[in-house]
This record gives sequence, C-alpha cells and structure tokens, in this order.
Amino acid sequence: MTASATDILPTDQSIGDVSRQLTGIPLHFPARRQWWIAMAVAVALLMLFIVSVIELFTRGVGIWGLNVPVTWAFAIHNYVWWLGIGHAGTLISALLLLTGSEWRNSLNRFAETMTLFAVVCAGIYPVLHLGRPWYLYWMFPYPATMGVWPQFRSPLEWDIWAVLTYLSVSVLFWYTGLIPDLANARDRATRRGWQVFLGILALGWRGSTIHWHRWSRTYRIMAAIAVPLVVSVHSEISLLFAASQLPGWHSTLFPPYFVLGAAFSGFAVVSVIAVALRAMFGLENLVTRKHFDVLGKVLLATGLMTGYGYVFEVVDVLYGGNPHDLQTLLDRTTGAYAWLYWGAVVFNFVPLQLLWWRAVRRTGWALLLVSVSVIIGMWLERYMILVTTLYRDFLVSSWSHYTPTFWDWSTYFGTIGLFLVPFLLAIRFIPVISIFETEKTLLDEREAHDG
Amino acid sequence: MTTSPRQWTSIEELAGDAAFAERIAAEFPVAATFPPTARRDFLKIMAASFALAGLTGCEKSPFVAGIPYVDQPEAALPGVPRYYATAVTLNGYAQPVLATTYDGRPTKLDGLPGHPATLGRSDVFMQAAVLQLYDPDRAQSPTRAGAPVTWTDVGAMFSAQRQDWQKDGGKRLRLLLSQTTSPTLARQIKEFQSQFPAAQLHVHDASGERERIANAIAAYGEPLDLHYQLDACSVVVSFDDDFLGPGPRQLLHAIEWAQARRRTDVPGIHLYCADSIPGATGAVASHRLRAAPSRMSHLIEALAARLGVAGASAADLSEQERHWLARAGAAIDGAKGGALVTAGLGTGSQTARWAARINDAIGASGQTLKLTPPVANPGIDVASLGELVTDMDNGQVDTLVILDANPVYTAPGSLDFVNALSKVKTSIHIGLYRDETGHRCNWQLPLTHDLESWSDARAVDGTATIIQPVITSFYDVRSRHQILAMMFGRDEEADALVKETWRNAFGDSFDAQWKKALRDGFVAGSTAQAQAKPASGWTEPAPSDVDGLDIVFRLDPTVWDGRYANLGWLQELPKPLTTLTWGNVIAVPPAWARDFAVENGDLLEVDIDGRKVLGPAWIMPGQADNTIGLWLGHGRENAGRVGNGVGYNAYAVRPAATPWTTKGSVRKLDSREALAITQMHHRMEGFDFVREVSAASPSLPAPSPQPSLYPPYPSAKNAWGMVIDIDSCIGCNACVAACTAENNVAVVGKAQVEMGREMHWLRIARYYTGDVENPRSYFQPVPCMQCEDAPCEMGCPVHATVHSPEGINQMVYNRCIGTRTCSSYCPYKVRRFNYLDYRNTPEAPVEPVHNPDVTVRSRGVMEKCTYCTQRIQAAHVAADKDNRDLHDGDVVTACQAACPTRAIVFGDINDPNSEVSKLRRSGRHYVLLDELGTRPRTTYLAKWNDGPDSEDDRT
Repeated sequence: MTASATDILPTDQSIGDVSRQLTGIPLHFPARRQWWIAMAVAVALLMLFIVSVIELFTRGVGIWGLNVPVTWAFAIHNYVWWLGIGHAGTLISALLLLTGSEWRNSLNRFAETMTLFAVVCAGIYPVLHLGRPWYLYWMFPYPATMGVWPQFRSPLEWDIWAVLTYLSVSVLFWYTGLIPDLANARDRATRRGWQVFLGILALGWRGSTIHWHRWSRTYRIMAAIAVPLVVSVHSEISLLFAASQLPGWHSTLFPPYFVLGAAFSGFAVVSVIAVALRAMFGLENLVTRKHFDVLGKVLLATGLMTGYGYVFEVVDVLYGGNPHDLQTLLDRTTGAYAWLYWGAVVFNFVPLQLLWWRAVRRTGWALLLVSVSVIIGMWLERYMILVTTLYRDFLVSSWSHYTPTFWDWSTYFGTIGLFLVPFLLAIRFIPVISIFETEKTLLDEREAHDG
Repeated sequence: MTTSPRQWTSIEELAGDAAFAERIAAEFPVAATFPPTARRDFLKIMAASFALAGLTGCEKSPFVAGIPYVDQPEAALPGVPRYYATAVTLNGYAQPVLATTYDGRPTKLDGLPGHPATLGRSDVFMQAAVLQLYDPDRAQSPTRAGAPVTWTDVGAMFSAQRQDWQKDGGKRLRLLLSQTTSPTLARQIKEFQSQFPAAQLHVHDASGERERIANAIAAYGEPLDLHYQLDACSVVVSFDDDFLGPGPRQLLHAIEWAQARRRTDVPGIHLYCADSIPGATGAVASHRLRAAPSRMSHLIEALAARLGVAGASAADLSEQERHWLARAGAAIDGAKGGALVTAGLGTGSQTARWAARINDAIGASGQTLKLTPPVANPGIDVASLGELVTDMDNGQVDTLVILDANPVYTAPGSLDFVNALSKVKTSIHIGLYRDETGHRCNWQLPLTHDLESWSDARAVDGTATIIQPVITSFYDVRSRHQILAMMFGRDEEADALVKETWRNAFGDSFDAQWKKALRDGFVAGSTAQAQAKPASGWTEPAPSDVDGLDIVFRLDPTVWDGRYANLGWLQELPKPLTTLTWGNVIAVPPAWARDFAVENGDLLEVDIDGRKVLGPAWIMPGQADNTIGLWLGHGRENAGRVGNGVGYNAYAVRPAATPWTTKGSVRKLDSREALAITQMHHRMEGFDFVREVSAASPSLPAPSPQPSLYPPYPSAKNAWGMVIDIDSCIGCNACVAACTAENNVAVVGKAQVEMGREMHWLRIARYYTGDVENPRSYFQPVPCMQCEDAPCEMGCPVHATVHSPEGINQMVYNRCIGTRTCSSYCPYKVRRFNYLDYRNTPEAPVEPVHNPDVTVRSRGVMEKCTYCTQRIQAAHVAADKDNRDLHDGDVVTACQAACPTRAIVFGDINDPNSEVSKLRRSGRHYVLLDELGTRPRTTYLAKWNDGPDSEDDRT
C-alpha cells in the first residue's frame, strides 16, 4: 500500500501504532534530555519574569522606558504580538474543522495549546501595564458602592471583555478537543496516579456513540463560536489604536490589517513548533512534509495579505493627503525609528518569498527560518505601529523619543518563559497530537484507498 | 564609631554616637536591653522620629505634624488661607509679594496687587522663593569651622573682635556686601562706618548691577539708574540689552511692554533688537539683527550718525547691518519722541555713551527714559571686589565679614578669591546657606529667609516695602540687621531695628503709617524721583577689535547667579529658548557648529586667558557668528543636595575686568553629555500651530464648523475658557513656575527629565521658522485644552477623566488606574503621568510648601491642568455665601495671575461681556488643531507679524 498524492499521512501505519506512539509520549517520555534543557531555559526566563514583575510592582511602570508622549510601548506592543500569535491556534483548529480540512488533525492540539499560553502571556500584559494594577477590578462592572461603572466607550473596556471571552472560549475549545484523548491515555496508564489524574480530566468518557455524537456537536459549536471571535477580538485590539485620532493609528484599515497580521504571526509560530516537535519526538510519520507544504502556503497567503495592508496604509495616506498623516508616514519611513519600519518590511516579506518554491516549503529547517523571520518581523511591526505614532504626534513641541530599558526587555523575555514553561509541561504530560483525530484521518485515508 | 559625626547621613550612623545611645537609653530604657538585631529593627521603625530629633540646632522644624489649637485664635480658621503683603529680594531689590499662608505656613507667593512695580504679576524667582524658605539644606544654626555653636558664642566672638577693631578704627576690617536697597541696612552701615571709620566696605554683585552703574557713570558722569518707560514708547532699539529677559527689572518691563503693545488695535510698540545670544527681547522683536557683542559700539555709532548726532561717524557695515539700521533709524524718526535706545550692560561704556547721546538727541530723556539716583546701595561709598582681593593678598585684612554674598563661588575666576581668603585671619560668612564661602570661612552665621525676616527693601522703581515675616523662623537663624547689631555689641529684636529706621521717615504718625505700610505692602510715594538730565560724558575712541571668538556671559534664566541652584522648581524649569533643565550649556552659532561638526551635547572646552571650563554644546539658532555664550549660576559645590554638581561653573573662567564679554577660544572634545531638554524639536514642520496676522491682513479666516457625532454637553451657568495671546508671550516661564507652586507639581530630577517625564502641567512650546542662522521665534504656552469633545475622556476605561458641567475636563486621581490611554489619545499631549513615586524625591524633599487645596498625586496616576479647579471652587463658595453670581475676574488661574504681559485670560465664555468672551470674538482668535474637532476651551490669539516680511516695502 503506497500513499497517494492526496494523502497527508502515510497509510502504512496501524491505528494502534499511532495510539501507542502518541500516548507513549507523556507516559514514556522519549526526549527527556532535550526537554530538560528546554525546561531549564524556560524556567530561567520565567524567573526573570518574576523578578521583573516584583521590581515593576515595587517601583512602578517608571522602570520601563515610557514617557510622555510615548505612554504605551512594550507592554501594549507585546500584548498585541502575543495575542496575534494565539489566534493561529484557533484558526487552525476551529476554522479548518468547520471547513473539513482534515490535515489540521496533526497540528491542532499543539496549536491550541500554544494559543492558550500565548493568550495567558497576552492577558498578563494589560495588568502589568497599569499604573496601579491593584485596581484592575475597576475595569469590571461589579456593584461598586459608589455606583461607578466602567466606561463602555473606551476601547480598553472592550478589550478586557474581548480577551477574557477569547481566553475562556479557547480553554473550553482546547479542553473539549482533548477529552477523547485524555480517556485514551487514561486507559493506557499503568500507574494509579496517572489513572486518577487522567480519569478525572476525561469526565467519564467511554467512547460510546452517544458520547461521540454529543462531543462532535459541542466541538463544532465551539468552533463556530471561536472563529468569529478571532476576527472580533483582534479587530477590537486594533481599535485601541484606531479609536484615537492620532496619525498612523486613526485608520479604518486597522481591523483587517491586524487580524491578518495576527494570523500571519500565529501560523509562523505554529510552523516553528511543528518543525521542533517533529524533530524532538520523531513524529515524521504524523507531521509530514505535506503538512509543512500546507503551512508554508498558508503563511505565504496570510503574509501577502498583510503586505497588502502595508501597501494600502501608504496609499491611504497619500490619497488622503492629511499633512499629519503624511508627517507620520515620513517619520516611519525615514525617521529615528525607520529601522523598525524597514526591519518589519524586510523580516516579514523578504524571506517569505522563498515559500513560492515547493521544495522550500517542504524543508523543515527552511520553513523554520522563514517562520522565525516572520515572528521577528511581526514583533517589529507592532513596535513600529506604537512607537512611531506616539513619539511624534500632532504638536511638534511634544515630539520626543523612546528607548526600552533593561526592564522592558526582561519583562518581554520573561513572558517567553511564561509561555514556554506551561507549554513544555503540556507537551510532557498530555498527548501532543490529537490521537483520535489523527487516527480518524488515517482511517479515512485507508478507507479511501481500500474502498 | 567613637566620635560623634556632625553631619550624619543615616540613623545607624547617628546611633553610633555615644551621647545618642545614652539619650535612647534614657528615653526608651527598654531599647537598651534589646539584642543588637532587635535594636536595629527598633531604630528602623523609629527612624522618622529620630530624624526629626536628630536635627541638631533647630528650634522648630517645619516637618512636624500639626496639632490643633487648644484655644482657637479668633481669626485663624484651619484650611482658610490668610494673605500678607511683604517682599522677597532679588539682587537686593524688593519683589513685593502677597504671601498666601495656611495655618501660619506660607505656600504661595504672588506679585503684590496695587504695587506700581508688579501690579500683582510675578516672575519665576518670586514664585520659587517660598520653596527656598523650606529648603532643608539651609544653614540651621551658627557654625564655627563646621561645628554648631550658639549665638552667645557668636556674640562673644564679636565682642572680642570689636576690641581689635576699635583700636585702629577697623583698619584691618572689611565688610563685603551683596547689593542692597534696604534703608535699615543703609542706616546700620552708616553706623558701622562711624564706629569703625577706617574699615572699608566692598560690594560684590555677580549679576551686573555694578556694571550697570559703571555704564551710567561713563555715559552721564555720575551714578544713575536708567528707568525705561516702555509704556510711553512706540519704538525701542536695543543693543544687546535683553530688557525683557530675566532679572529684577523683567517684571516691570514686561508689564509696560505689553501695555504699549496693546495700546491700539495694531501693535503699539515695535522692538528693534541687535543681539548676540538670542534672548526674550530678540525673540519678540519685530526686527532682530544678530550681531556679535564687539559690533555693538560700531552699530550704535552708525545709528547715531544716521540720526545726526554730533561726532558720530558710520563705520563699515555689512548689508544686513545697514538694512537693519536704516529701518531702525526710520522707525525712530517716525516715533516722534516715543523712541528709546538701550544698551546692554555687557556692551561696554562706549555703547552706553552713544545710547545716552542718541536718547538726548531724540528727546527720550524725561519721556521714554527716566533717570534717578541709584536705588541700590544708597549713600554707601564702596570699593570693588578686585580691590578687596588685592588687599587680602597683601595681608592687609585681618577680619572679613561677608554679608549675604558667596564670593568664593561668584567671584571671577581671574581673581582667585579662595587663595586670598586663606590669608584672612578671621572670616565670617553671613548667609542663607553654608555655601562655598560659608564652608571656607571660620564662622558661618545663618540668615533668616526674607519670608521670616523683619527688614525693608526698595523695588527697582525705588518704592520701599517693609518686609514682614509671614512665619516664625524654624531654624536657629537671625536677620541681617540683628547680626549687624551684634557686631556693634547690641542684641536687638528684629522688628525694632526696622521700626527705628521708619520712625524717622514716618514721624509723628508712625503707628498709623507703619500699619498702613504693612497692610499695603509698600510705602506710598517712596518711588525714586527723576532728576534733571546731566551732561553727557565725553566720547573716547572705540576700542580696536581683538581677534578671537567673542565670549558672552549670561546669567542663568532660572537659577540666576547660582543663588537658586538648590531649588528643584527652578532647576527643572525649562529655560526659555533652549528648554534645557538641570544644567547649563555652551551656546554656539549654527555656522560654527557646522564648521566644527559640533552637535548638541558635545563637550566643548572654553579657554579664556588660560583658564578653562568644560561644558556641553548647544547650537543656538539665531546666535551671532563668532560668538560663544556661557551661562553663570551652575557647577556649584555647596549649594545643597539639589544644586550640587549640576552643570559647569562659568565663573571659573570669568575675567574680572570684562565680566560680560571677552575673547577666548573653544575646542571640541571627544565626549558627550546628555542634556535634559523638554522640547526635542523646534521647527513647526509646515504646520500652523502658531498663526500670524499682520497690519495688512489683521484677521484670520473664520474656521469651518467641525461636525460631531456626539451631542454637545449641556452647560452649567458658567462655562470656563481661556484665551492665550501668543503675541504677548515673552516665554518668561512665570506661568509654569506659578503652576508648579499652585498645583504641587512634582520635581522629578535630571534623569527623569532626560527620559521625557517632566511633570509641568503647562509647557511653553517654542518654535522657529525660517533660516536656522536667523530664525523667527515663537512662544506658545500649552496647558490642557479642556476639549468639549475630549478624546481622553472617551479612552479612559474607568471614568477617571470626565467632563464637568462647567466644561472642565476633570481628572479624578483616586479613580485613575494608570492605563495612560487618555495621554495616548490626547492630540495636545498635555497630560503628565506619575511613572514613579515623585512625591518625595531627593530633588524636592519639602512637603510643607504644598498647597493643601490640591491633592498630591501618587505613583501610577495621570494628572494635568485643571484650570486651577480649587480656585474655581473657592470662588463659587465665596459667591454662594454672598448669594450672588460669579463675576468676571472672580476666578483667576495661577498662570493667569503670574503672567506679566497678561497673555493669559481666563473666564466664563457663557458671559458675552467677559474679557475672555470678547477675546474669543477677536479676529486673531484661533483654535489649535481645529481640524480635529475636539473643540478646545483653551484657544489662542494669533501673533502680530510686524517684522520686515510683513511690510509693504519688502525688498
């Protein structure tokens, strides 16, 4: 039996093998050494994060390089960046589930896991960003004795709701998808502790038809909720900027521009993780070159759409002819932070063009390098959008500068630790690839051949 | 630690003192039995109490908690301010003030309303004087060689010294004074001279008052004060005379200039200014000529020739110089007696002579120029600092008494005062601080601050003010009159000495007149009387030009000659034109900077006669070629914790013979220094933030109405608005200083300003247009615009910034969680954020000066201009008590009250007859960033362009 061109998985593997392979990863962890090294780095970064946060809460946001006019910088910029990354997991899982793209089944689990922890990283930033974080709860409409409510005209208020909704839906969607596999792992667990732990999480799943029926409906409904959420949440994030009047922010282009940029950066992270996990756990049979090919195409497509946003941002300004917008465009392309703009353009779009070639798309390390470039490029883009608008807005007399301090950087790198530690724990303790969905794909493919 | 440290920096250090340990054991017996670690904790907990207890020598500390009265005095209502008329001094001249005090604690000074020389307006020094009162670095008790002594010890020292002095009539005794206008001090000095007839008096003033008199002697043959009557002028031609710049005369000049400017519908006064380093006068001049100081005598002689003054001949002039002189000459002709020619004190006697002769020729004397006998140092026949140093070097001085001067710091470097001082047997420094001089003298006797003194002084126009204390001294200090009396062997009450002076003047009706003088704040009719025009002096040939760069010395616009270096408010006040805070720069002309590849902040070395000083470069647009500017007043060593080590010390290279303009060389070094400036960019980049009108087109086009999705807010009875007349702004910063004092604005320090975090609620934006070599300058004060459709209000997620029914965009500090969205969204960037806890920085360790009506903002909170909402509320309360409506003028914001040119007008825009409403109907009225549709309540009046490019005969 040989794989046909339409197959994404090699059909010469048995379903039992796949089950054993995937449940075996947490139960008999194959890459202990690499994992411990990665974990050591991640924990070090997490420690850095904790130290930074203690310093931050002790002394105030003044430890960062902020000033007036640049009152928003790393905190908001990294918030947007992390959230954008998170969106790819939802898009891969939910959108492709709804469209019946079965190839997703090898990627969705870790993509969703990534989403979860990226959203956690994103979600913590608005708290760190506050001048008085201990009053965060004032953003919520609790029955205050003074009768004061949040201000619902504020994009920041929308933001709180958007992110919390997104986080809860992401958690539920991820968990729902995990239930059959948790049961599978429970059944294969040999030690009592694992059995109890996984048994509780599996919610008594027995794999009966009625279970599958209900599960399938729930999962699809969750997906149908999650997909529009990605669009609305990131559109809303863009309104943080677009709702102001500042040149470079005040644009109707922002919502789609941000959503596409988010998907772009998210797929880049998914690609990086796919390549890394495949190498780490020897998953060549499940995460195939065809997956790389598809990921490469998606990356190229979202990248080009983001590029379209770049072009139209410029066209808009030139067509509109507002002198302040023109000034901001000039500042972005030739000002003190021109390196950010051109850095974003180069990192985002130049290596990306390699993905036009099928051979590049199918080569793991090449895809990895392009993706890393995109992650850096999108980070620079968020930085550019914030700082180049704020450092020179309307009145020339308040034009200033912004330089990140050690604590800006340490908090940022710290959040990478905050992302990696739970992510590494997740791939250590739960099936990293959706077992039943992969098996289903495999089964479908076999049936197609046999049938 | 076995010896007792006199100055301790920590409680632990102090606690090492055996005497202190004993005291602890006596006060807190249980503490002595603690194990060492527990005792440390105990000391830590008690630190604050010990810190207060440890301030040796203070009788009363301002830093103690208030305790309510047992028997409430009848008129003293807690929280209700009381006002006292008194004065603070600058260069010895009275700056008459109305002091606001809360529970006996002065918090704010404003110009004294009704006083002919202030009309209720103020300048930055007057505003900051109250901070100096509370400066914890002030000398707090007499010291001998640094060790605290008592005033009894001082009295004993004086009586021992007096026996020596009386032997030879005080031949080896010298008294070095700073400039003074005090009648009481003059009376005491007469007594001093009669007791010690052989003792010599010297006056040292680093800020140019001596040179001013020297110029008058050169021009008129006798010492005179020249009082410009700017309100009578229609044309003023200035030769490097920055009469609108900082100094004791700024206030009066600015008031009169603004009055003249508004005399008619079009500008009523035009300034022609030739200057080297741009100053306020050059910035607002309609016709400015940049000219090196060495050109001034040639230029003025050419003007004299043009006006037909006998003996004048036109020298070689450049095209620009000729052009400027032709216009200035024509303007003087056209002014028909309303013209005045002024010469700066650094331009030398030659220029001063020509100015006098031109003024005679054009009939200025008596009209636009009033001559009076000098207000300062009346009847004191004095010698200079240079003569004193020579005598000290020759060992002719045994005792030197320095009264309220700091010659170790401010003496020109060429004199080497420090070396001379070391040859004096007994040196006694009497001053507010134990400063550089106090540290090097055997004795340091602390003075009372003006606000805790009984004294008297005259304003620049000669009007006398009786200085009355508004607070009891909280340190162990005495007034200068008391200390002088001690020299004569008398122990007097501070007020008795002043009363004695005025008893003669007031005669029989002393009690009534004394009370009236205290209440009014000045002695009516004491203004200096004009005297007849004396003969002009003889003209000597112009000095030949020497090669080399012209080095110009200027006094610092915020810390002055260095006396205010320890005041955080003034250190952090952006200097006009440069917007520099915390330090001084070496100003270089743009062409020179280009030639030598110098950028702002590059370290330069200035060499004058072999004496060198290092400082950061500042490329000053419009500075005359071949001219380098140095600012005095920084680089202090013993100013206090705020002022020490800020900037470079230009006194070190100052020559005694030519203290204002000299020759020298400059070279660039290979290092840089960060400059704490508050405005990075100075061009308008083609935008119309500052608009101009001219006589040809006196009105701006009417703005097109901006549509809004939001319905207009319903307005309360009063709707507050502010109009700022850009044409009147001279960039003096009085408004910013007043706002700082009124609203408890934090001082954040150099590092924070470098990061862009200064907290001023009001900034004076400064723009240039045109060529960098010779630009036009504009000042635009930018407070909160109080937008009716405010982007900030929309952005805040927690309702921390909301709209008041009176149209004020309110900031609710205790609701703010610090998202900073409001500031991000603010198109005017007028909001300020407490990034760190700025409440008690080392730069501003004083709390008693805080206005109790204004919340002190904590870390993580946004703040901004409130239109002085506390004053609005106070006015409401007052009006409600009388059951009446608010009248125009009931509410005066701090910036408005301070502004000497009345550029800021505030009031109710619902009242069509209010001044602000009238101005809003002016043809010059416009809205900043009108196109954004924010509908600001703060609006502007366009600047008049009466310069050469507005004239019809444009060439």
